[in-house]
Amino acid sequence: MSGKVAVGSDIGQARRAVEQLRMEAGIDRMKVSKAASDLLQFCLEQAKSDPFLVGIPAATNPFKEKKPCAIL
Amino acid sequence: MCDQTFLVNVFGSCDKCFKQRALRPVFKKSQQLSYCSACAEIMATDGLHENETLASLKSEAENLKGKLEEERAKLHDVELHQVAERVEALGQFVMKTRRTLKGHGNKVLCMDWCKDKRRMVSSSQDGKVIVWDSFTTNKEHAVTMPCTWVMACAYAPSGCAIACGGLDNKCSVYPLTFDKNENMAAKKKSVAMHTNYLSACSFTNSDMQILTASGDGTCALWDVESGQLLQSFHGHGADVLCLDLAPSETGNTFVSGGCDKKAMVWDMRSGQCVQAFETHESDINSVRYYPSGDAFASGSDDATCRLYDLRADREVAIYSKESIIFGASSVDFSLSGRLLFAGYNDYTINVWDVLKGSRVSILFGHENRVSTLRVSPDGTAFCSGSWDHTLRVWA
Repeated sequence: MSGKVAVGSDIGQARRAVEQLRMEAGIDRMKVSKAASDLLQFCLEQAKSDPFLVGIPAATNPFKEKKPCAIL
Repeated sequence: MCDQTFLVNVFGSCDKCFKQRALRPVFKKSQQLSYCSACAEIMATDGLHENETLASLKSEAENLKGKLEEERAKLHDVELHQVAERVEALGQFVMKTRRTLKGHGNKVLCMDWCKDKRRMVSSSQDGKVIVWDSFTTNKEHAVTMPCTWVMACAYAPSGCAIACGGLDNKCSVYPLTFDKNENMAAKKKSVAMHTNYLSACSFTNSDMQILTASGDGTCALWDVESGQLLQSFHGHGADVLCLDLAPSETGNTFVSGGCDKKAMVWDMRSGQCVQAFETHESDINSVRYYPSGDAFASGSDDATCRLYDLRADREVAIYSKESIIFGASSVDFSLSGRLLFAGYNDYTINVWDVLKGSRVSILFGHENRVSTLRVSPDGTAFCSGSWDHTLRVWA
């Protein structure tokens, strides 16, 4: 529910800030090298289905103009 | 729902400050006294830990902040772009404006795509909210809000309703109807009430709940049907400007960014802030989750965009150039997360290679600030809205 800041109680606010920081300092973290390589892996796996990377032919992309047809 | 407590209203002289106030019973060393509410408050917080003073708590907070930085630094063994060195560089991109949507009478402030990948809703400073068919550029619905500066708008997942709000401090939901006889404004439902402007709103996975962010420094989760506040999120020290929900597979969290330069990740069920990041040097205008849900990007008035990894609990990349001096107003990822599209206040859109940290492309076209930018749900195009009154679809 709504955590109301106690009126006139700076101590209450400061205590809440300390508790929040304690909690944040205590979370589990992983090494950047592992996290970064996971991001990389996700990116590379999904690259095949990313229209901006793979490119969709003008015929199927609803936004691109279709090639004009010449009437012979 | 809060438990209801009943206070007996006794009026008299407070036992501590002796002022004439409404009194409540207070127990001190098993003796009952009558304190006014202000003294009772002070006693409740003072009585518990006698060694704590404001100064000692503040210095403990500083120590903890230092410890947090140390813990984060210990795991900072490499940069993202170093890990990405072995990845192939991206080729040349040809992205052009494929559609220009004209119709707004003033600055376009926000837009959102419908899940059908075709429709979109946009809102502007003149109070108009328009639903467009992006293929044909036809306007399907239009509604005039009773306020100006409609800073937030969102399409419902079902495609049957839109939500919007701004200087009216509210978020209202309009069901979309194709019946020409029905007036859209008549079916309006006011859902959220804040004490300052609404800066962002988003439906959760269903049409039934809306998440809002406001200039009053809070975010809130509302039930659409009853208008009831389900959860509120306090922690930002200034206006909250943006929010984004985690992709549904990764759980009930969302990230918000504000004028206090902080990006905060929240647990929607408990209302608790689980992680906070404060590396930007100015207001954070936009936040967007990476498609896997393990990271998020932010765009700020300090002219940089940054990528924060949630599992490493730190910033892992900065997207900036000396030549870019105007703030980034909105960011979004391509479907794979390889590209980051960012709209800037210098009228341009920069496309960044997320992994390598380099700029891939710069897009010109808008004649004023780019204020909003979203990639379509199937990733085939993205739409940008600008203060030049138009929206452009790029592909």
